[in-house]
Amino acid sequence: MLFYVLKRVALSVVIVMLAVTLLYCMIHMVPGDPARILLGPRATPELIASMSARMGLDLPLPVQILRFFGNLFRGDLGMDVITNRPVADIVFGQLPYTLWLIFTAIVFAALIGIPLGCYSALHRNSLADRISGVLSVACITAPAFVVALYSLLVFAVTLHWFPAVGAGEKGAFWDQVSHLVLPAFAIGLSWIGYLARLVRASMLEVMGENHIRTARAYGLAERTVVYRYALKLAILPTVTVIGVGMGFLLSAALFTEIVFARPGIGKLIFDSITTRNYPVVMGSVLVSTALFVISTTLSDLINAWLDPRIRASL
Amino acid sequence: MITKQSKKDLLKDLNRRQFLQTSGALGLAAATSSIAEIVYAQDKTILKIRAYADMRSLDPAFSQGITDEEIHSCIYSKLIQYKPGREWSWELDAAESIEQVDDTHIKFKLKPGIMFTGGHGEMTAEDVKYSYERILDDALESTNKPDWGSLKEVTVDGKYEGTIVFDEPYPPAWNIALPYIVGNIISKKAWEEAGGKVDTTTPSTSGPYLHKEWQPKQKTILVRNPDWHGGTAAFDEIHIFPIDDENTAQIAFESGDIDCTRLSLGAVGNLKASPPENSTIEEYPSLYYVWVGMNVENEAMADQNLRKAVQHCIDVPSILQASYFGAAEASTGIIAPGLIGHRPQSMVPPESDIAKAKEYLAAAGLDGGVNVTLDVLNKAANVTTAQVIQATCAEAGISVEVNLHESGAFWSLGDSSAGERYKDIQLILNRFSMAPDPSYATAWFVSDQKGIWNWERYSDQEFDNLEAKAKATSDPAQRDEMYRKMQDMMEESGAYRFITHEATPVIYRNTIKPAFRPDGLPLLRSFTGA
Repeated sequence: MLFYVLKRVALSVVIVMLAVTLLYCMIHMVPGDPARILLGPRATPELIASMSARMGLDLPLPVQILRFFGNLFRGDLGMDVITNRPVADIVFGQLPYTLWLIFTAIVFAALIGIPLGCYSALHRNSLADRISGVLSVACITAPAFVVALYSLLVFAVTLHWFPAVGAGEKGAFWDQVSHLVLPAFAIGLSWIGYLARLVRASMLEVMGENHIRTARAYGLAERTVVYRYALKLAILPTVTVIGVGMGFLLSAALFTEIVFARPGIGKLIFDSITTRNYPVVMGSVLVSTALFVISTTLSDLINAWLDPRIRASL
Repeated sequence: MITKQSKKDLLKDLNRRQFLQTSGALGLAAATSSIAEIVYAQDKTILKIRAYADMRSLDPAFSQGITDEEIHSCIYSKLIQYKPGREWSWELDAAESIEQVDDTHIKFKLKPGIMFTGGHGEMTAEDVKYSYERILDDALESTNKPDWGSLKEVTVDGKYEGTIVFDEPYPPAWNIALPYIVGNIISKKAWEEAGGKVDTTTPSTSGPYLHKEWQPKQKTILVRNPDWHGGTAAFDEIHIFPIDDENTAQIAFESGDIDCTRLSLGAVGNLKASPPENSTIEEYPSLYYVWVGMNVENEAMADQNLRKAVQHCIDVPSILQASYFGAAEASTGIIAPGLIGHRPQSMVPPESDIAKAKEYLAAAGLDGGVNVTLDVLNKAANVTTAQVIQATCAEAGISVEVNLHESGAFWSLGDSSAGERYKDIQLILNRFSMAPDPSYATAWFVSDQKGIWNWERYSDQEFDNLEAKAKATSDPAQRDEMYRKMQDMMEESGAYRFITHEATPVIYRNTIKPAFRPDGLPLLRSFTGA
């Protein structure tokens, strides 16, 4: 197990480095002089040259990449050339907003999606199962930004139940929660559908397996069979999907952060790319890529922990 | 103390259920730890307003336009400020008196007793000198230096008296320097202590509000300055929310999250028909100018007859209807109504004239039709405009291929230092912002700007001479004539088809009494309760 963990961690580091190198090359291929875009129309050629030098853009691309990683290993993500603040401060200042959003969305989706999937599997082909199927597909196909806009119109504009924009007052927990409800609902809704369908399929598969039949033959209560033996195995694919889903939720968070004018790392990346603020782009992409890799690695490790068969195969 | 062994035991004993319970408990504890910090003062008067971008700098030398200036104008003082209303004018702020004594000298006298915060003393003419002259210093690398034009120096004539000296006449100083970004007065002492420049915090201010906090990507909070020289500011706090999307801003207004915002033009019709309760919509003309430019050095567009054919093909009223929902007027040039140099009408009428366009095409030897490209920034209004242009040009036999670009790529299209792409520009739909002086509009179209912002690569020595002369002419009538002439020349070249100055519709709650510049931009320091 320890070897497996070390192997996964090493692989994760390589993946992050490759992804960041690739992105570094990609953003430098996008047309437009970053220094000129940053400084605006009235910048003189001397100012533009000075800004290029401050951003390290006057160096060959491989040197820029090596320098980035060199600084990274010293824990330095660079300085934001606009505000002169450390990129790490900026990125880690925005990251909690996105993490809370994603976490809330996943919890919300899991709390509804998993029971819904179980119920459907246990009442297969009933009217409730069919309705659940239709609703799940409807949730999956609803784009996050459409859900965001409609939820704003209904719950913020018409009913005034929740605020429309921002992330709430600093330090005011319930205010922050109320600002989190609609964005989390917008990106979590489709995940209710995913999880419900996934859990239903897994449960149906597991319920047909020998050990479940054996448990029933021993006269165990149906509740014990379902929740103690069946669900434990049926939940495994869900853990994997949630891990991978973090990456998708990160991109869904971008739209949501724009529509709800919320701070967050998605919005930070978007704004930084638009203004060609490369140090911030690189810092925030690095952190979000690492986040994605960490979450998939963690889901694999949790799977191995939960399932003795996986542990045995390592 | 947890030993290595006990840690191991703990992990060993932790089963999955305990893990979930512990995680849940930890999450709840983390979440609720901040409940105790909730402090709300419900009786505060708070103005909540939207800005279209986040704050960048609190240093006037590095302010990036109007979003920073909305904050600066609240926290700093200037000699004069823009006066709210429908016509461009100014009013005294820190100056007790100010006068243009001759073409190159402006004398001022500060009000005594204006105090800088943080114990940095009283504002004196030395502070004015420092504030203005530091922006001229090349070592500071201020992007706002061009706003000071031909400023030479500020002489200190007494504790409160000084003279602003220009190398040559610079009338725009009254419109885009003294009451705008570079006109903010900072404390010399505080800035020198801070090392000569500041970023997102400020060591000292003197305006009606203080900068309390910047929450990046979320909001900027200003609070009332109890020691403001002008009396008592209207609100306890101003919260400025950066919301770049206008539809989101509208929803935020309707849900009660903000008190005032600019609206998208597409929303005005519906909101006027059914306005939200307790709110008012006002429409202001904008200073922006939108036009279709044609690259005179491109092989295909080098023929003036083809350019003129395109000018006559473009039907401006159709564009205004389709892209601006009928809420904007056709422009006559690049200088907006209300400013010196505005032309009452353009030489080419706004309506298309396909017959005339065909005549020009025939003169160019292109009776059989021609293919051209139109580069466009990927915004909804631009895409619609491009489609209308495509449709009307097709009537004359001009086939327009539309190239969409994201903002970074678009704004470097004509940049000759960024490769050869500038040569491929044929038609380009462009939109520039503007400050309330005509020199701000014409500066981009001189020969020196070729490959920088003059993407049409239009070049005319007479235009260049006029541009330099108009900027340094004090007589408003003469300036007016020169700027009109310049726009005539631009239009005659065939390289420009002027579309619109757009419009600035704003909505606000009736619980506040807002104050806007004539172009609809908010002057937050002058907002009051209704």
